[in-house]
Amino acid sequence: MSNQIAKLGVGLLLCFLVLFVQLNRVTVFGAQELKDNPTNNRSILRDFDAPRGTIVTADEVVVARSDATPEGARFDFARTYPEGDLFAHTVGYFSLNLGATGVEDTYNAELAGRTLDLTFRNFDDLFVDRDRVGDVRLSLRADAQRQARDQLGERRGSVVAIDPRSGELLALWSWPSFDPNAIATQDFGAANAAYELLQADERDPLLSKAYRERFFPGSTFKIVTAGAGLASESVTAEQPSYPVASEYTPPQTTRPLRNFGGSTCGGSLFDILRVSCNTAFAQMAIDLGPAQMVETAEAFGFNAAPPIDLPAPARSVFPTDFDQNLPALAQAGIGQNDVSATPLQMAMAAAAVANEGRVMTPRVVAEIVDDDNTVVDDPEPTQWRQAVSAEHADVLRRAMVEVVERGTARNLAIPGFEVGGKTGTAQLGTDPPRSHAWIVGFAGPPGQAPSVAVAVIVEGQPGASEQTGGQVAAPIARAVMETVLASQAGGA
Amino acid sequence: MILLRRRTELGLIVVGSLITAGAYALAGLGRDAEIPANLVGFLGMVLGLLVAAHIAVRRLAPDADGILLPLAALLNGLGYVFIVRLDEAQADGGRLAGLQAMWTAVGIGAFIATLLFVRRSRSLERYRFTFAAIGLGLLLLPLLPVIGRTINGSRIWISIGPANFQPGEAAKIVLAIFFAGYLVERRELLALSTFRLGPLHLPDPKHLGPILVAWGVSLGVMTLQRDLGSSLLFFVLFVVMLWVATGRTTYLTLGGTLFLAGAAFAYSQFSHVRDRVEIWLDPWPVADGAGYQIVEASFALADGGIAGTGIALGTPTRIPEVETDFIFAAIGEELGLIGATAVLCAFLLMVGAGLRIALRAESAFDTLLASGLTTLLGVQTFIIIGGITRTLPLTGVTLPFVSYGGSSLVMNYVLLALLLRISDNSVAARSPARAGA
Repeated sequence: MSNQIAKLGVGLLLCFLVLFVQLNRVTVFGAQELKDNPTNNRSILRDFDAPRGTIVTADEVVVARSDATPEGARFDFARTYPEGDLFAHTVGYFSLNLGATGVEDTYNAELAGRTLDLTFRNFDDLFVDRDRVGDVRLSLRADAQRQARDQLGERRGSVVAIDPRSGELLALWSWPSFDPNAIATQDFGAANAAYELLQADERDPLLSKAYRERFFPGSTFKIVTAGAGLASESVTAEQPSYPVASEYTPPQTTRPLRNFGGSTCGGSLFDILRVSCNTAFAQMAIDLGPAQMVETAEAFGFNAAPPIDLPAPARSVFPTDFDQNLPALAQAGIGQNDVSATPLQMAMAAAAVANEGRVMTPRVVAEIVDDDNTVVDDPEPTQWRQAVSAEHADVLRRAMVEVVERGTARNLAIPGFEVGGKTGTAQLGTDPPRSHAWIVGFAGPPGQAPSVAVAVIVEGQPGASEQTGGQVAAPIARAVMETVLASQAGGA
Repeated sequence: MILLRRRTELGLIVVGSLITAGAYALAGLGRDAEIPANLVGFLGMVLGLLVAAHIAVRRLAPDADGILLPLAALLNGLGYVFIVRLDEAQADGGRLAGLQAMWTAVGIGAFIATLLFVRRSRSLERYRFTFAAIGLGLLLLPLLPVIGRTINGSRIWISIGPANFQPGEAAKIVLAIFFAGYLVERRELLALSTFRLGPLHLPDPKHLGPILVAWGVSLGVMTLQRDLGSSLLFFVLFVVMLWVATGRTTYLTLGGTLFLAGAAFAYSQFSHVRDRVEIWLDPWPVADGAGYQIVEASFALADGGIAGTGIALGTPTRIPEVETDFIFAAIGEELGLIGATAVLCAFLLMVGAGLRIALRAESAFDTLLASGLTTLLGVQTFIIIGGITRTLPLTGVTLPFVSYGGSSLVMNYVLLALLLRISDNSVAARSPARAGA
């Protein structure tokens, strides 16, 4: 029987080896897959019951923090958002049953203290009764954000302010917003009720329109068309001079495309941008052809989701299927037809013009610090795209400054600063006529690189004249830029 | 020789108790950052119980193997620490830990009693048919009205007064004794092939008859009781003992074929068997229903990773039945791959020690019984850990010595005592000094 017993031993040993191998698969090699499984809410539950980093703005306003709960509560910590709706779309919320959004989602590992830098430091603190978590410092400024909220008021729209040099966002506001405290509450019944109410709202307050919704960009898109013209070398500051006309009929159609209110316009690039001349830009798009228009639009960031550090950014769209549909191309050249852009994209376009053609990677987080205020992560600004060459960007910049000094964007002017801009009125084709009022622009001390760029959209305003953007949106943009410029002057 | 084995045993018992107390202290630190106030008392209780068992071995089986008892004590202690830790995280906490402490004491009592009453393992051989009757009786008990109880869909319990038992746990050992006795008597006959069935050469059916009846009845009863884990365990025990006794690989082939046929039949006829297999293959579609337990166990093990979360720092209470069948998932989560592997190694060492006892046993009966008991221990461990790690379809059995469960714990101590008794007898038989005693 010894023979069989030896074999039995080998057999049982093999059984245990199989268990050991499988144990390795589950606990180590396949563990990440199990942790990422959507039905696995262990990590969020653990994070929910653990200390969590604070989120502060660039001007030191606490916008999210975890407070210890009273003895006997179900969880040890509760997340609160002292600024309420102000940062709901960017900071987001952190909820057990409804998940996490915004910075709470994209920087979850840092906030929970689970990134490499933070964990390695943790070993030193193994025997100290303290939890290491990362605090997130936003590039967003509470003062600029409040200014955006106050100026926009209860009008549906979005305000985006960006530092053109770094891609850091300074303000990112959409109205309507919501109070994240209502969703992050540990009264899960109330949280669900609040969430369902917000979901049922047709204005969709949960969605940040500023970077997750597309709109017709209207005439603000003419910056891109002008950029395409310059990039093709067929358009310069002086040449060509577009015919002064009140309408332009693209090839392949007999339906003419008209200027606002039947006005006549034409001339050089500076002239036609200053008065936002539809006929000239439509003709420019036809002259350049689809390939050049698509190439430049994509160089500005269209047709790709911007690599922002917020979840699910929307892609702005410039059609690529014109084939020989030239009337559509003519309309696209003035920001109509199927062109659509997020307010973030249009702010990035203005910022690219202000930053020698460079489209920087947009970010809302400036740095991660640990609880000793040591910076553990300070991401360097990176360039995402090159919209146009530095030389062409300079032409565009000067043209946009003219639009503020002597054109449709006069309301954007800030005394003592060099300001450029471009208005837009995207008609919605409704009766009575309603339009999205747009403005994009930049500003900075004269002779220096502009230090702030903005895009503002006020949705569905009555009227359809080209003046709408300049009248409705420009004051909001100016106020936000003034706030930023003042803080930059004070901080410098 | 004698003293060395016992001194080793005592030393290992102290080490095992210290590990257990250390785990208990860590659980306290993990739970509320304090070393439990009753740590010294706890260590004293663990040591007290084990030293009692050790003294009993010293008196009653002085030549017995010295590592089985410390290994069992370590597993029992670790399991107890986890039961305490899991208990305290449950809403109605504190119930199971106290019971498990009591069952541990009863188990060690049963261990001492077994050593006391079974002075020579071969004396069991004489009563093999009595054991067959007792074993079948124990299996049938839960099917009786009044005392039979169905818990979690399995009718494997009996209730007498306030206490619940699983008589099947005892039946496994009793029937292993019967098999050993019967097979030793007939093994020459069973090794002859006088009867041909297709390609198989089989012994005379009349020699095979009684054992097939016992096996068939046991399997049938267990199937009726919906206790798949025990059925599987029992089947493997039967086939392995038959093969060890005769050395005929035909029995392994035949057993494998019968198993596949039985499995196919059960799969097609019983929805609960089909469910188990489907959950094993793909638990995700039913992750919040029938597959919840196994999915949560996988998540727990994945959370544990290499080093584990630390005792009382994980969330194993999300797994249903974590204190009984699924305790290994809790160990994997909180002690990680390292701790889980240590547990595997402890069982592997026990299996090794058991087979060594089988090899050195003084009689064929002892050899066969030791192999059978070791198979019970090893295969039961394999079935439940395999089920938890999705190596096999899940069939609920306890993890020997570790899981909460009175009947299982007590009977495993009896199993341990029988192995020690066989070990002691074999050494005594070879030692002239004690042969005449």
